Amino acid sequence: MKKVVLVADDSPSIRKFVAFALSAKGFDIIPASDGMEALEKIPACKIDLIITDLNMPNLDGFELIKTIRNNNEYKETPIIILSSLSGSDEISKGLECGANSYLIKPFDPKRIIYEVSKYLN
Amino acid sequence: MNRPANMTELFEKLNDLKSVFRYGQKLIPIIQSLIDFMQETVPLLENINSSIADSTTKIPKASNQIADVTEATELATTEILDIVDLINSDIDSIEKDLKGLTEREKQKSKIIQKLTEAVKDNPEAKSLLINYEELNNEYEELNSVLSVLQKIKNDAYNITLSLQVQDITSQQLSAVNHLISGVQNKLSLLLVDFQETNNDELKTMKIAVPDDASFNPEARYGKDVSQQQLADSLVNNNGFRTTQDEIDKLFS
Repeated sequence: MKKVVLVADDSPSIRKFVAFALSAKGFDIIPASDGMEALEKIPACKIDLIITDLNMPNLDGFELIKTIRNNNEYKETPIIILSSLSGSDEISKGLECGANSYLIKPFDPKRIIYEVSKYLN
Repeated sequence: MNRPANMTELFEKLNDLKSVFRYGQKLIPIIQSLIDFMQETVPLLENINSSIADSTTKIPKASNQIADVTEATELATTEILDIVDLINSDIDSIEKDLKGLTEREKQKSKIIQKLTEAVKDNPEAKSLLINYEELNNEYEELNSVLSVLQKIKNDAYNITLSLQVQDITSQQLSAVNHLISGVQNKLSLLLVDFQETNNDELKTMKIAVPDDASFNPEARYGKDVSQQQLADSLVNNNGFRTTQDEIDKLFS
């Protein structure tokens, strides 16, 4: 059974890049254009892993991660941050919110495949 | 009795008045130059005023153009990605077929070797089989095509890496748009104060920057890995360890 990865990013091209990299490795991709849409889709689809941007309209990545971690059902769901924010403060804040990995844009598709495989395979 | 004293006082006053007139005479050219200056300045100020008004009305247009450019590049990027995706699937399909052919060539070669061994006592048959193998075995050519395909796949992969510049530039353009919006608001206020009018059109003139626009003005496109290394070290301190060796192992 294919593992399902939710990709929350307000940039359609980034959602496409991630899908491009992961679909080739057999993962199913559920796109979301912001944190709110991600929260709506998480219960509807059986999500195995979440990749999220930080700067997003409506609900940003930090709030999305906190909300997910506050839900017992998704406490252990791996979360990878994919953001252009590269300061140590933002990275630390992301990890404190509950993210498992932090990738900086522009990203190497091999690296994202590796990170997803690390948690799902 | 007081007449001489009054006269003295009158003369003193007249002298004072004379001084005032003399001072006034000296002041007149200065006042004249001030009036000249004002006459020259007023049109200039009117020009500045109309320039500000003109700029203020043009800024939203510039801002919208930036937004249009971002949208167009976003669309073009996703279209290119779709095409690269199709190219990659075609390459995968060709690669699969070629690998099948390579495998068949290997098997053919083994059979011919066995046949050659079987007819070793018949030099003519042996020679014919060797000739046959030389003419028909395309193993080397197939491998060469496979390596070219691999190179095309790598190039397609590199295209996707470079296309990420679109996301970074769109964030930078959003930051520029945000700045433009700030300048436009200030200019509108300045213009309203300047004209002492309540120009509703200027007050309500808005740039189409969404209130919830999210961007990183510091976003940069580059191949510097130091920022990812910093992120990795912080993640590693958090209990998750990643090394380049592990990543390479996955793709070897």
